[in-house]
Amino acid sequence: MITAVLQFAQVGAGATLIQTLVKALALGSVYVLIALGFVIIFKATQVLNFAAGALSMAGAMFMTILISDGGFPLLPFANPLAPAEGETAGIVLFFVHVLIALALAAILGLVIERVAIRPMVGQPLFAMAVITLGIEIAIRPFNLDATALEGRQLGVPWGANSWDWGGAVVPKSYLVAVIVAAIAGVSVLFFFRTKLGVAMRAVAFDQEAAMAQGINVGRVFAIAWAMGTALAALGAIVYGMAPFPPGGSVSQEIHPLLALRVLPVIVLGGLDSVAGAIYGGLIIATAEVFAGQYLSQWNSTLGSGYSTIVPYLVMLFMLLVKPYGLFGTPEIRRV
Amino acid sequence: MRRLKVLLALLLALSMLAAACGGDDDSSGSDDGGSDSSDDGGGDDGDDDGGDSGGDDGGDTGGEIATDYGVDAENKIIYVGLNADLTGPFASLVAEIVAAQEVYWEVFNANGGYQGWTVEPVVLDSGYQTDIGIQNYETLAQESSDGVLMITENTGSPITAAIAEQAAEDNVLVIPLSWASLWPDPTFGSAILEKQTTYCVEAMNGVEWLAGKVESEGLDPALAIIGRPGEYGEDGSVGAALAAEELGIPVVYDGTGAVAGDDRSAVIAELVSSGATMVWVTLTPGELLDIFGNSVSQGLQAYWSGSSPSFNYLVHMPSDFAAEFSEYYFQSQYQAPWATPGIAGMEDLIAAMVEARPELNISDVFTTGWIEGIMAETLIRAAIDQGDLTRANMVAISQDSSFSVDFKGLSANQSWPADYNEAVVRSSWIYDVDATKFNLIPLGDYTPENPGSTGLIPIEQDYTGSVAENYVFDGPCIEASG
Repeated sequence: MITAVLQFAQVGAGATLIQTLVKALALGSVYVLIALGFVIIFKATQVLNFAAGALSMAGAMFMTILISDGGFPLLPFANPLAPAEGETAGIVLFFVHVLIALALAAILGLVIERVAIRPMVGQPLFAMAVITLGIEIAIRPFNLDATALEGRQLGVPWGANSWDWGGAVVPKSYLVAVIVAAIAGVSVLFFFRTKLGVAMRAVAFDQEAAMAQGINVGRVFAIAWAMGTALAALGAIVYGMAPFPPGGSVSQEIHPLLALRVLPVIVLGGLDSVAGAIYGGLIIATAEVFAGQYLSQWNSTLGSGYSTIVPYLVMLFMLLVKPYGLFGTPEIRRV
Repeated sequence: MRRLKVLLALLLALSMLAAACGGDDDSSGSDDGGSDSSDDGGGDDGDDDGGDSGGDDGGDTGGEIATDYGVDAENKIIYVGLNADLTGPFASLVAEIVAAQEVYWEVFNANGGYQGWTVEPVVLDSGYQTDIGIQNYETLAQESSDGVLMITENTGSPITAAIAEQAAEDNVLVIPLSWASLWPDPTFGSAILEKQTTYCVEAMNGVEWLAGKVESEGLDPALAIIGRPGEYGEDGSVGAALAAEELGIPVVYDGTGAVAGDDRSAVIAELVSSGATMVWVTLTPGELLDIFGNSVSQGLQAYWSGSSPSFNYLVHMPSDFAAEFSEYYFQSQYQAPWATPGIAGMEDLIAAMVEARPELNISDVFTTGWIEGIMAETLIRAAIDQGDLTRANMVAISQDSSFSVDFKGLSANQSWPADYNEAVVRSSWIYDVDATKFNLIPLGDYTPENPGSTGLIPIEQDYTGSVAENYVFDGPCIEASG
């Protein structure tokens, strides 16, 4: 119970600006993570992965199974690292579980690539994209059924705690989101400078030429799907942390639509550009969050949820002026 | 010409006689009554089963019972329907409500029913989709042996609104799992038998109670209202606004209908900057979690409450904002939560649920299913006493101003006068939220010493504020959409 008289947090304009900026960076970080997943798969396979939403949510579900249920997906034995019932994992253990969940998500990506994508190599890209749509539809019911109305807890050790930065309330989860996305972004950039990353770029550029050079295209595809699925899952896990809307859980209401919100990011940044995913994520989230904060007095005029439209307006504008995005590779056709 | 007149008069007399005989048949149950469900032999069965029905059955009239649909008179079985959301957004709660009502009938039947009549529930899943809900209604309302006598639970305002007119036409009495202020309005749906209070009155009580809480903390009440679009959200928001007006509380932010879609950042921004000391919400649990969590995270400190469905202990107690909910949120409800001591109806409920469903976890919404069972049983007993188990008579009994239901302390007792202002139940419950007490246990582990807890502790039972008590309603707080 409250023992002291309540005092309003009279958030000043400066503090509001800081809070809004941090929120934009945090949401942008989530967008970056999921957009990187899209981009890696597209870069290697030229396939736009419409299953990203279900796969990302499945990855977050793995996390809840590991840490909240104390088990493993589809396996009958217990997770020896899981915290005791009613207890929360420490920070180190939590991130260990994040890594395990990402590994499981990567395996899911590998399986899907092997079963549904690899047999389609050489077939029209449109057919492959439709297959990913089918995968999305097939996986989503499992996610929804497992999460149910009440959601599944992620067991985030810092919960909804926040810092007070000179009157601005800064949730710890937001800073975690930024750090995680920064590490992921740098890792992906670094990856493309490795031998395997160069092979992936070669495959993206010309599959047949890459095969002629001895590059194992199937292996590149598999790695791209594993990485892409793991990154999307990481985005979904981060987005589950409070005070992002699911409030510390995987949500039936929120998570399935998360990947859809990232589409403007990859269109803005360019479908095949890692830098584009990073810049695009940050720009789109900034536009969305600032519109939500500073146009809120016109909510009734603009319509509730108007800020979610802002990314699509940016996307539309970008398509009109630069169809391949800020950093996308223009398609050159011989005429 | 004169002979023709005599002949016509004779024919008229004969036809009147035939009609009169037909009426007798209907009321006596000695004939088919116009249905496939055959009500023959009602009297015999009544005699045979009178001894089985237990001491609480009252005297067996032994008379014949008129029936039409949803009643197997030969075997003395009454079928009731549940049009429930078992796979949709409210599935986890509704499944528990349905389970409680099923257990209610199991107990009723195990005790011999009433004068030998037992009740079998027929459960159909709507998934909270209006089109499927309407199809289910048509299945349950069919005028054949496959129909039901009445619908003892119909999940959701949209589906209830969609079937209300047809139910009145079909004489199918419907108990809605919804508290929209539309239902007590006889012109809206004469066959809809609402239970407990309405979202509108609940909001009046909640706002008045919150204002007292805020003042007791030395603050000036300043209200923010946040609601989703549609009957549910608008009903609660209108009630809150009416209470604020009556009590002279400034509404510093009116977000009626402002929450739609999954982006609530504008609503949160407006709320945080509004200077509200108290917030009334009419939302889904997910929306509340987002708006409450982000507002608190951004520094808003105010007392919160909201329409009952806004808060779900399964969502909010395990969330990362459990401590904040415990500190700032008060749950509004219509009835007693699990294991509330000193309530006779709760003791019956606990004993039955523990015995019949040990595998389920404890739940506050068992009370809802149990209350639906009490309503339906009271109606069925009255109908049997009148010797008329027809659908039309069930509706007629529900419209009788002398008809009332005793909920044995689980909720405010209720009657259904024709006048809207008299029919509206004015009381609701207020719970304290205490996440430290949240302890969901299987019913099989229940003991009086360790009853488990949903973390919701009643602090006001059947609370009626001055606004709700004195407000003169000339109809529902909202208009039906569509």
